[in-house]
Amino acid sequence: MNIQANFEGIVRGGETLKQHRDRLMEATKRTGHYAGIKTLELRDSQPILYNKLFSRLRAGVVDARETAKKIAASPIVEQEGELCFTLYNAAGDAILTSTGIIIHVGTMGAAIKYMIENDWESNPGINDKDIFCNNDNLIGNVHTCDIHTIVPLFHEGKLIGWVGGVTHVIDTGSVGPGSMSTGQVQRFGDGYQITCRKIGINDTLLRDWLHESQRSVRTTRYWMLDERTRIAGCHMIRDLVEQVIADEGIDAYMKFAYESIEHGRQGLQARIKAMTIPGKYRQVGFVDVPYEHEDVRVPSDFAKVDTIMHTPSEITIRPDATWRLDFEGSSRWGWHTYNAHAVSFTSGIWVMMTQSLIPTEMINDGAAYGTEFRLPKGTWMNPDDRRVAFSYSWHFLVSSWTSLWRGLSRSYFGRGYLEEVNAGNANTSNWLQGGGFNQFDEVHAVNSFECAANGVGASAHKDGISHAAAIWNPEGDMGDMEIWELAEPLIYLGREIKASSGGAGKYRGGCGFQSLRMVWNAKDWTMFFMGNGHISSDWGLMGGYPAASGYRFEAHDTNLKQIIADGGEIPHGGDHDPENPVWDSLIPDALIKRDKQAITTEAMFKDYDLYLNYMRGGPGFGDPLDRVPQSVADDVNGGYLIERFANSVYGVKLVKGEDGLFGVDEAGTEARRAEIRKQRLARAVPTRDWMAKERERILAKDAGVHVQQMFAASFKLGPRFEESFRKFWDLPADWQLQEADLPIPSYGREYSMDISELPDVRTVKFVDE
Amino acid sequence: MPLDSKNKRSVQVLGIDAGGTMTDTFFVDADGDFVVGKAQSTPQDESIGLIESSREGLEAWGLNLSDALASLQTGVYSGTAMLNRVVQRKGLRTGLIVNAGMEDFHRMGRAIQAYLGFAYEDRIHLNTHYYDDPLVPRHLTRGVMERVDMFGTVVIPLREEGARKAARELIEQDVEGIVISFLHSYKNPTHERRVRDIVLEEVKAAGKDIPVFASVDYYPLRKETHRTNTTVLEAFAAEPSRKSLKQISAAFQEHGAKFDMRVMATHGGTISWKAKELARTIVSGPIGGVIGAKYLGETLGYSNIACTDIGGTSFDVALITQNELTIKNDPDMARLVLSLPLVAMDSVGSGAGTYIRLDPYTKAIKLGPDSAGYRVGVCWADSGVETVTISDCHVILGYLNPDNFLGGQVKLDRERAWNAMKEQVADPLGLSVEDAAAGVIELLDSDLRDYVRSMISGKGSSPSNFVCFSYGGAGPVHTYGYTQGMGFEDIIIPAWAAGFSAFGCAAADFEYRYDKSLDINIATDAADGAKADQARILQAAWDELKERVLEEFAINGYSADKVTLQPGFRMQYRGQLNDLEIESPISSAATAEDWDKLVEAFNDTYGRVYAASARSPELGYSVTGAIMRGMVPIQKPKIPHEELGPEIPPEGAKLGTRKFYRHKKWVDAQLYQMETLQPGNRITGPAIIESDATTLVVPGGFETFLDGHRLFHLKEV
Repeated sequence: MNIQANFEGIVRGGETLKQHRDRLMEATKRTGHYAGIKTLELRDSQPILYNKLFSRLRAGVVDARETAKKIAASPIVEQEGELCFTLYNAAGDAILTSTGIIIHVGTMGAAIKYMIENDWESNPGINDKDIFCNNDNLIGNVHTCDIHTIVPLFHEGKLIGWVGGVTHVIDTGSVGPGSMSTGQVQRFGDGYQITCRKIGINDTLLRDWLHESQRSVRTTRYWMLDERTRIAGCHMIRDLVEQVIADEGIDAYMKFAYESIEHGRQGLQARIKAMTIPGKYRQVGFVDVPYEHEDVRVPSDFAKVDTIMHTPSEITIRPDATWRLDFEGSSRWGWHTYNAHAVSFTSGIWVMMTQSLIPTEMINDGAAYGTEFRLPKGTWMNPDDRRVAFSYSWHFLVSSWTSLWRGLSRSYFGRGYLEEVNAGNANTSNWLQGGGFNQFDEVHAVNSFECAANGVGASAHKDGISHAAAIWNPEGDMGDMEIWELAEPLIYLGREIKASSGGAGKYRGGCGFQSLRMVWNAKDWTMFFMGNGHISSDWGLMGGYPAASGYRFEAHDTNLKQIIADGGEIPHGGDHDPENPVWDSLIPDALIKRDKQAITTEAMFKDYDLYLNYMRGGPGFGDPLDRVPQSVADDVNGGYLIERFANSVYGVKLVKGEDGLFGVDEAGTEARRAEIRKQRLARAVPTRDWMAKERERILAKDAGVHVQQMFAASFKLGPRFEESFRKFWDLPADWQLQEADLPIPSYGREYSMDISELPDVRTVKFVDE
Repeated sequence: MPLDSKNKRSVQVLGIDAGGTMTDTFFVDADGDFVVGKAQSTPQDESIGLIESSREGLEAWGLNLSDALASLQTGVYSGTAMLNRVVQRKGLRTGLIVNAGMEDFHRMGRAIQAYLGFAYEDRIHLNTHYYDDPLVPRHLTRGVMERVDMFGTVVIPLREEGARKAARELIEQDVEGIVISFLHSYKNPTHERRVRDIVLEEVKAAGKDIPVFASVDYYPLRKETHRTNTTVLEAFAAEPSRKSLKQISAAFQEHGAKFDMRVMATHGGTISWKAKELARTIVSGPIGGVIGAKYLGETLGYSNIACTDIGGTSFDVALITQNELTIKNDPDMARLVLSLPLVAMDSVGSGAGTYIRLDPYTKAIKLGPDSAGYRVGVCWADSGVETVTISDCHVILGYLNPDNFLGGQVKLDRERAWNAMKEQVADPLGLSVEDAAAGVIELLDSDLRDYVRSMISGKGSSPSNFVCFSYGGAGPVHTYGYTQGMGFEDIIIPAWAAGFSAFGCAAADFEYRYDKSLDINIATDAADGAKADQARILQAAWDELKERVLEEFAINGYSADKVTLQPGFRMQYRGQLNDLEIESPISSAATAEDWDKLVEAFNDTYGRVYAASARSPELGYSVTGAIMRGMVPIQKPKIPHEELGPEIPPEGAKLGTRKFYRHKKWVDAQLYQMETLQPGNRITGPAIIESDATTLVVPGGFETFLDGHRLFHLKEV
């Protein structure tokens, strides 16, 4: 070492991390190409070597995930695959990733960038064999229960990159048990928060960390083994990188680590060019936050209101195949746990795109650099307050993104890619969560992940697949019942496809499913519900219907012990037609809650109580009257459709055959469909007339308080949104809609304090605000 | 071979590999000499193709069928018929009885079954996911009210009337088999067995003969989707195979055979066609090679072997460590999750027929996952293949003899391949055709190399402790490429590489293996009394499984004293969901000391498989399963042993030279005929050793030596 060493940064070549990232970002901004890389020198001159590097590293990262997940105890990780490993370059930009919850490609990158921008390099220092941990939502994490383990990669004493591993843990010690608890309305109730903390040196975890972290959560065993899973995976990838460098040389590796990102950016552009049509695509998403109900117990009066979250979006695809996504008009962050950081919002959109627009091997941060985002500051997806809670940000993430799929699908349709059309994703719920003492008499928390297998939206040439996937993890799975019964003191009395949960259409949305659980062997037990209830969070496409929204069914004091002993009829299977329930009369003495209140906080349960876990379906495509009638009969026979909707929605007259299965009365169907079409025409009014009538309602503010509040909040944060609303409805200047005038509290409306206002904090800006 | 010795030849062992298109037979005589017969498969009656293949093979030895069959000691079958039946859903009409309320679970499957076997791009590409039809349709499924919890406690007593009604309805629907699977039956089998008996009563009352399968009698293992799928396979697919095996057995006996046919099973042993659990034979062919390598290793003294097999469509790797196979317990096959013990064999969708494409958007080179299979590539004009394949690269680079592919049965056209490669890959990448083809081979080899390396490091070991066996039709073409720089202890290519799977089948033990789920939980610092209690629970399970193993052997006329028993167990840290299979270091368990030995064996293995940092003894231990294997000795093929001759190959083995491209230049490779080479010959690259069914490539910088067992040893010089 020479004297210069004191001034040398840790990055290979001698820059500090900050200098390194600044240089890359400046060049990216200046040239429009990642790190200023205009030509892919390595790829062009040595395509074989380039491909070799890619496929070796990618295979290794995928393999690390497959191997490491076997260490975990949590069925979320082991069975549902809720983990992901990603390889980054020195600047924290992702080179490539495993499968799994790949939204964290962005969130772990954001954590690395936070460490870079806040000079972790000098304090606490970044050394070979260090281990860092992060789950801070204010840095970009999706929600508190996603825990990141980040390990720097060194070569000959210099930092050459990072590897990150993430798992979704079952409990993070928030106010209520379960990973995505409800009830808290601020960050301080969200659970254990770790901000890029150095938790290990020399590949060994520090004891203070072990003691503190393990007592900060309810499910310590899961926590420990999840952490070992993440570390083992990171170390496997570190070994792999060392091996690749030994084989192919450090120079080739370093070149690849940057060039591949520009390659990913170009790949996205090529795909946009091939699959879409330039222009503007507008759409909107909503979800309900029904907090006024008595079964939602929150600590703060000002949070005890029913509100609606709102996200209009505009996709602009330019002729040169660059694109911009603008979310002007979105709702303000709120006093609930459904807020999201800009990074998780944009990373999640990237995840969606990998499922349809760019399902290639070459997915990395290039796609992020190829996408411009505008998320107005102060919105729910880019909050400007450090008190904001995030624990179930997915509540609205999944509902606002589904509109983007709808938008892009119009484009795919226009280009003739019928197979790629996807009418939208399901609202990935219900989340069965709760805790207490389990069948092993241990403090426990549960978080069923059956809803990793929801219905999928229909495409333009076939039905959506049923009980199959989640927007956040296309490799969905509902898991085996015997494994869930190991993890939860709840026995199954039913697992059944949820009829009519998928939206109707020429091609119907995939159906979700339902599990009826009976509390068994639990003590001091609580559970709650989490999902959409009053609002369908997707829409359906080109005449297709939205998926059914959610509801809750719970039953207490069921007397089932006696009913079982007496040989009486026991509720089981599915709640086939919730409007004509059969279970309720079987347990006449029970306290039954059957309503649209699909979000609740911890309620007490005891053995023999019942809980219905209903996983949602996906939206449909095309007019249901165009569906092949026999397919409708097949749907009824197969339990995908409630019989009465064959007639009312699809206009299909069914006839029961001798074998008990339905067939189609062709003539009757034709007549019925003609009748429905006639009724539609009779009901139709010219658009102008309809608008004139609606305009009167708007002028009179003839809408629920929650609707008014939603628009008022959107107007305040989105002046352009307000302007276009006014213009569209031709509203006079004196028509004003303001939250202050509404009879519900709107705390947070005027005053906020961003995390960046704390001393010594430099936040990283990833989007236009 | 002198003429007069023909009549004295005593044929001892028969191995059968009945594929979808060809049926291979592999005969071994008392001296270890072998011959391979080939004939077209006859799926409607497999015995026809088999007899034909045998006739063809034995003809080469100048033997007639009856004479040869009479002297045979043993015969082992492996084939793809059962797997094909499952893939095509052409099994028997099967009824299923499950818990009331859970009638949908079998058709819902596990969502993982919607993308099993997909490549990375399609796993994330949601619109490509799809479900296959369930093995049992919903209308042949019935629910019966009962519930047992995870501890085996009855929550809802069985309602027998429901079972009777379900049975009657299914019988009325003319099902050909009835499967019963209740939640946690592996833990408490009472309800499931009671329903089994009720169904049997009803079948009898209906005057029918329908087999009934309770999951607990077959696969008493946790995870209902796996267990149910596997038990359904018994009814759906295994029974037809049993009929077919019976037919084959009878056909052989008609021709004078006296042995009883055995079948290769997923756990790596062979079982009788009369065995109760015949679904275990669903995949058998590819395992054969692994068993062959294990047998060769045991005979010749290699205990750690990396088995590598390249065929037309895939590259299969399996590891043998300390002469033991690695077993996977909940594998998937035909896009179904199963609970069969399967010889862990990882497959990459890269074989000789694998397609090469450029991603139109990123220009990334993509190999497979689909393949031209037997249609070779563009180089075969009649194949109809338009996308270039790995074989096309081989032809372009001079690796393969275009005029002697499959012994000249298929003529390959180098120019066709060259032109296609230029247009599809070389020009878009700005490379010469040769460099593009060589680059693709290099890319494939490096993928395969990493794959093998990661498997070995997953065992906590390094290649220097392993001997690599390379076989399969296309294996020896790539051996040098995927082993280069790995530092294997030795690299071995059997001269009969193309028939190695059939050889392996013939070399397999007669072995039954049974598994049972357990839930033994114990703290690390538990008292000795507690440890002894747990040891006894494990012993009770071993005893139960032992009975079943002995019962199977009894069916085949082996008394208990002839059977060698090897207990095993599955253990994990408490709370984990994945366990490790450990061969028990003790033959029976009773005391706290015994228990500690089991724990020690587990901790050792865990640290090697994952990482030392992943060991978690503070959580305590769970034994999740008991395993019992039983074996009886059988006649196995003798491995040839010949005296070593001179190092210089006989002139008669030389077949001229061919242009061969590697490292950016063309060289002249000396060609040899594999069969004519003599033990002791040493060949330095560049050379290509050709036989009808395989080609061994020895590039510059490599040499190979043929030993007295007809094994080629390849090394870098």
